[in-house]
Amino acid sequence: MTKVVILNKGIIASIIGPTGPEQRRLANRVMEEALKQAALSIQEITFIVATGYGRINVPFADKQFTEITCHARGIVHLFPEARTIIDIGGQDVKGIKIDVSGKVIDFVMNDKCAAGSGRFIEVIADTLGVSLDTVGDLSLQSSHPATISNICTIYAQQEVAASLAEGVPLSDLLAGVHQSLADRICRMVNRLRVEQAVIVTGGGGKNRGLLQALSEQLGQEILVPEEPLITGALGAALMGKEIVEKARQNNTPLETKERILGAVEIL
Amino acid sequence: MGDKQSHIFDTVKNYYNNYGLRAKELKGEGKQFIGYVCSLVPLEIITASGCTPFRVRGSVHEPITRGDTLLETIVCPYYRSVFDLSVKGKYNFLSGLVIPHGCDSMVRSFSAWSYGLPFSYFHFVNIPSVCDESSLEFFDAELDAFRKSLEKFTGKAITEEHLRQAIRVHNENRDKVRALYEMRKADPPLISGTELTMTLTAGSSLPIEESNGLFDQILTEVKGRGKSPLKKGPRIFIDGACLDNIELIKLVEELGGNVVADTICNGARDHFPKTEMGGDPISALSRRYLGKINCPKTYRENKAGTFEGDIASRFGDIGAYTKEYKVEGAILYVYKYCDPFGFEVPARKAYYQSLNIPLLPLEDVYSSGTIGQLRTRVQAFLEMIG
Repeated sequence: MTKVVILNKGIIASIIGPTGPEQRRLANRVMEEALKQAALSIQEITFIVATGYGRINVPFADKQFTEITCHARGIVHLFPEARTIIDIGGQDVKGIKIDVSGKVIDFVMNDKCAAGSGRFIEVIADTLGVSLDTVGDLSLQSSHPATISNICTIYAQQEVAASLAEGVPLSDLLAGVHQSLADRICRMVNRLRVEQAVIVTGGGGKNRGLLQALSEQLGQEILVPEEPLITGALGAALMGKEIVEKARQNNTPLETKERILGAVEIL
Repeated sequence: MGDKQSHIFDTVKNYYNNYGLRAKELKGEGKQFIGYVCSLVPLEIITASGCTPFRVRGSVHEPITRGDTLLETIVCPYYRSVFDLSVKGKYNFLSGLVIPHGCDSMVRSFSAWSYGLPFSYFHFVNIPSVCDESSLEFFDAELDAFRKSLEKFTGKAITEEHLRQAIRVHNENRDKVRALYEMRKADPPLISGTELTMTLTAGSSLPIEESNGLFDQILTEVKGRGKSPLKKGPRIFIDGACLDNIELIKLVEELGGNVVADTICNGARDHFPKTEMGGDPISALSRRYLGKINCPKTYRENKAGTFEGDIASRFGDIGAYTKEYKVEGAILYVYKYCDPFGFEVPARKAYYQSLNIPLLPLEDVYSSGTIGQLRTRVQAFLEMIG
């Protein structure tokens, strides 16, 4: 997903759009939509920060920061008491440790494959023929969560299909999938020595079944932002705002790109 | 940069990109090159035999293909890549190959190398796993056996004088590397990590005298620089095994960090320890290679009796380097399936924590295909400590 947050004194636009293989074009379109919502032209935007996997593919961005720094910044803005952040995204999972002053002091990311990410749930939901928005609530109806022993998404998909054929109820399978994913996330973030308050962000924050499994396994209460998908974009906007304020304070010029939102040709 | 200045780094780049170029030229003139992997092969003995030691490299840009039909994929990806290039004939100009007991991958796969490659000389050096008096005694005998096998191969005796002379020029090489490392102490450093690793890699493909000459020229060039080619940025330490390519270091430097020191085999681990002069040369070599090369494959007794004392004695060199080079953050770069380093990761992490130096542990597969994933981690780390 491509997200845009436009900030003035507060959030004046916040948009979530799809990401396709042509990220640069889409960053473009989602930006246009956000500008429309804010009733601004691109020329009126003082500074633009891009983050996430596609950060280098945003031609009109003035600066790039990693999603680790941006999520932390966004979350600390929303939850000043945050010490541990778990970002469960579509492609990967990250754990971030924050100190009292809101600074990142350590982080972990899952390795290479999507086994520990939201994509895992997407694939399983697809196999079971249920929509992604409903898997969380459905899994909460389970009384006997199934055991999913495969870590690899592809093998787990086959395992779930086989269990389904044996008559294991849907809710038990989904609960099992959430238990399995929560187990993997826990093992990873526990390397950071999890401290309260724990915030879950990213698409995973919208899945109540996953959150419950995670909370139980971590033995911690979990807080979730109202809109978990935009905390990275919010952090990026806040970082941009800080850069502008600092430049104004020190009376140094701002280095910005040309404000053109035309279509970008990808070779 | 003047014409003459860029010229010497062009030579380095050429040797780095066309690895083995000089060896192929010199082979035409009748020189014999003996390939080796790992820091634990006593190069002085090869030099003393009249042959030239040549460090065989892998390539992160070339997918492992033929190598995987002969070796299982449980072998570390770095070593598999070196093997893959070798069986594809990249190093066919070599006359022989020496492999030490540097890790399980090396000892278990030695026979695959000796069956699969067309060299007339193969030798396996048995490196003891512990370092005490009896192992040193054993290693003396082992090095003498290595010397005899090379004598048999070349048909010429390796005298004590040959050995002493070889020890002298190899020590000179190490002094020059130290002098190059001195150039990293400025902030920003006068020589980038990318330039330095490229230079050392090029050097390991040359006869030792030529390598000495090359390092001298680089040193003159760098000393002549009015100012650093780099901008100020976090001073980064690279900790790990053999990094025979510049990709990770280049990435760190592209993202604004400056690589200023390391423990890598193709860096401080290989080049910092010197061999004692005077006395019995074989015994001096066995003391250097077993006693002074700080590789996790060697077990050293925990004399302190405590965990803190143990990690301080095992990793004290890291602490000294980080102080000497004013390190602000460290990257522990470990290859997947690397057993010597893999087992040590928790202890190393604890040691960095005791030094109060932020650490980014990375596990990688020796392939340029993972650069994107590394980029996010390295950039986030630099943002964190910057």
